[in-house]
Amino acid sequence: MADKEELIGKLSTCVVEMEDEEVVDVANEYIGDGYPAYDGIMEGLVDGMNKASDLYDAEEYFVTDVLLCSDAMYNGLDVLRPHLDNADAGGNQKKVVIGVVEGDTHDIGKNLVKIMLETAGFDVRDLGRDVPLDDFVTTAKEIDADIIALSTLMTTTMAGMGTVVQKLKEAGIRESTKVIVGGSPISQKFANEIGADGYSANAVGAVKLAQELVGIEPDAER
Amino acid sequence: MAVPFITVNQGRKPLACKPGSTLLDALVENGVVVDNPCNGKGTCGKCRVRVRSDTLTPATETEKRLVPRKELDSGVRLACQLVPTEDMSVELMQGERGHTVLTEGILPDFTHKVDIEKKTVTIEKPTLENQEPLADQIARQLGLDALSVVAVAHVLLQPGRYTAVMHEGQLIAVEPGDTTEALYGVAIDIGTTTVVCELVDMRSGDILADASQINAQKIYGLDVLTRITYELEHPENGRENLQKAIVDSLNEMIGSACAEAGVARSSVYEVTVGANCTMMHMLLGVDATPIGKAPFAPVFARAQDIPADAIGLDVAAGARLYCLPHVSAYIGADIVAGAYVCQLQHETGNVLFIDIGTNGEIVLANDGRLICCSCAAGPALEGMNISAGMRASEGAIEEIRVSEDGISCTVIGDGEPAGLCGSGILAVMRELLSTGIVRKNGAFAKIGAFPEDDYRTQLITVDEAGKRAFMLDGSPDRLLVTQGDVRQVQLAKGAILSGFMALLEKAGIAMKDLDKAIVAGQFGAHLSADSITGTGILPAELESRIEYAGNTSKTGAYMALMSSDAKRGMERLADEMDYVELNTTENYERLFSDCLIFPSHVDAEKRSGK
Repeated sequence: MADKEELIGKLSTCVVEMEDEEVVDVANEYIGDGYPAYDGIMEGLVDGMNKASDLYDAEEYFVTDVLLCSDAMYNGLDVLRPHLDNADAGGNQKKVVIGVVEGDTHDIGKNLVKIMLETAGFDVRDLGRDVPLDDFVTTAKEIDADIIALSTLMTTTMAGMGTVVQKLKEAGIRESTKVIVGGSPISQKFANEIGADGYSANAVGAVKLAQELVGIEPDAER
Repeated sequence: MAVPFITVNQGRKPLACKPGSTLLDALVENGVVVDNPCNGKGTCGKCRVRVRSDTLTPATETEKRLVPRKELDSGVRLACQLVPTEDMSVELMQGERGHTVLTEGILPDFTHKVDIEKKTVTIEKPTLENQEPLADQIARQLGLDALSVVAVAHVLLQPGRYTAVMHEGQLIAVEPGDTTEALYGVAIDIGTTTVVCELVDMRSGDILADASQINAQKIYGLDVLTRITYELEHPENGRENLQKAIVDSLNEMIGSACAEAGVARSSVYEVTVGANCTMMHMLLGVDATPIGKAPFAPVFARAQDIPADAIGLDVAAGARLYCLPHVSAYIGADIVAGAYVCQLQHETGNVLFIDIGTNGEIVLANDGRLICCSCAAGPALEGMNISAGMRASEGAIEEIRVSEDGISCTVIGDGEPAGLCGSGILAVMRELLSTGIVRKNGAFAKIGAFPEDDYRTQLITVDEAGKRAFMLDGSPDRLLVTQGDVRQVQLAKGAILSGFMALLEKAGIAMKDLDKAIVAGQFGAHLSADSITGTGILPAELESRIEYAGNTSKTGAYMALMSSDAKRGMERLADEMDYVELNTTENYERLFSDCLIFPSHVDAEKRSGK
């Protein structure tokens, strides 16, 4: 029987090295040996994804690499998740509503942010792309979201982000919901102008920003 | 608050700046040209100006992010970030340098049959016995039942000889005397970046003169989306300003071409235009904003045949304006023209047509069946959002070789290198990949990957944060290619290649089945085949099968001017081309991600037979 720490290390490495098939074997072996799923996820898969995020932040990894790492992570999760105890299910996870604003269909950047937020332990509700602005507000209300994350690649649709901020005010939930924005035409200046709570130039920064805004100590789980 | 005055380049006459407005707005309003690709959004960092020290204000966060520390210290600021509160003195960083616009291209055989026809008529002196109205005399001689008196209103009709100008069987104008020898037209390509005009003798087809300019709309943004955003943000006069900018410059160019050829502009009876869908909407003063947002439905796509004076073109009274047809918002008349000029519909086998720009447009002809798509390549390949990026003007590096013997650059104007233009960026990317300085995943080689005394080690600089960059001129303080720059090129390359792959998949064709690739457009013509394949925009297999077509949009406009068959042919082709929307293509994200991978160092060595 393999050592628990050794298998956890392997899970992490599989994610960093984008081994989307090997990770399944390792995860099965880990469960077969009777080790707790929660530790395998947090210290193995999520740890690997965090390392991938760090590499992305250091400009070593790019979109492709992160997506491949996430493939490995999700494959591992598929094996480990059914073995989670109910007590591990979290429950006090912070909630994020994410989407590409109305009028734009480019969603790769948004998907990267989503992966990294999930890895960091957020409960993410993904509304997809070309999302009607009202949907952000109604969903945030419905699930009592802590954060709304808005993305766009096109300058023509940026103004919609300001509209969401306005609509949140009208709905009376602006105080309880933080708004973060991103996408290539977006800047800190623009975020300030529309009264958003934060801007990040990349996916890793977006996670740090989200953590700060909801009072989570960044890296607390690493 | 007092109105601040801005002195530009130590000029005599300071410009007034509206209190509260940015320096960029003040400069643009006063007609001072400043590069501002993002139109003041604070994202591109190109509107740099040097502020004289005594009027300098502290740098904003945005400036700290976009402008290198050394430049900030020397007084460089971004015009879009500065809100002058007191008089200030600035120097522009980008001199308006000379530019050459490519005008040659290929031209297929076609039937010469123009839509404008001239016939002489004679007006007889009416008598009390014969009071036939003068207009009816003309109509009778032309075999027309009736004619619009508007067409004759601009000449004083007296007994004598006249020349009737007909368009598709209708009288559009009358000229005194016999002018059948003089029939002129203008063929125009309106690119987002550059505009090209040709004055054509419609009787012979000879091009008598040409003129070109940087698109005057650039003060409202360099790319299509930024201009649409300008229109969105200025509902009161945005559309009008955009139209005026382009129409004024067309009138100027037509004037200079006519002057050069010694032709009166009042004898130009037809103007034909090839352009992308947004440029055409803006030319006609039609709302372009729907093009900027999903579901991307333009107001119009069909060809337009309207009076030239409807948009204020200063040519003959009664002259016509013909605008080539589009397929969709992002496959415009420029691409329809390109497909037609290259006769893709008549090609047997599999031909790829590609126009590289901020938007890359791709057409795949599969035994005459045409499918097309458009991909958002971003401005990297045109030298924007690249730290050392610049337009293809004097001082731009357009080709570069990196080897053990060092770096050798070809610089436009043969002077000192000042930056990289689009072809230079692609060339340097190719070299970084083939030398292994950048790996196929787009990351710089790890520190220590090469021996200490290796030439490559000498070319890489590492900053305090451990980030690597390639030194173009041996100094870490001057021209650099950063990891971020490589990523921008990578995104552009991924977008184009993925569009191409999506079409191949749609048509059920494999790469090896491709017979040739045609690179169109003024920009594409400057990209060498080994740069295109060396960076993986097109696969290496295609290198020997790449052809260049030049400015096919202008050629399409020329053909439309000279041939009504060509007009009808392009209209049919626009109907027949199938548009594929990439963003709704299944698994596009994965395809895009796969296409981000560069050709590897090993592949490059194999290719060059090392």
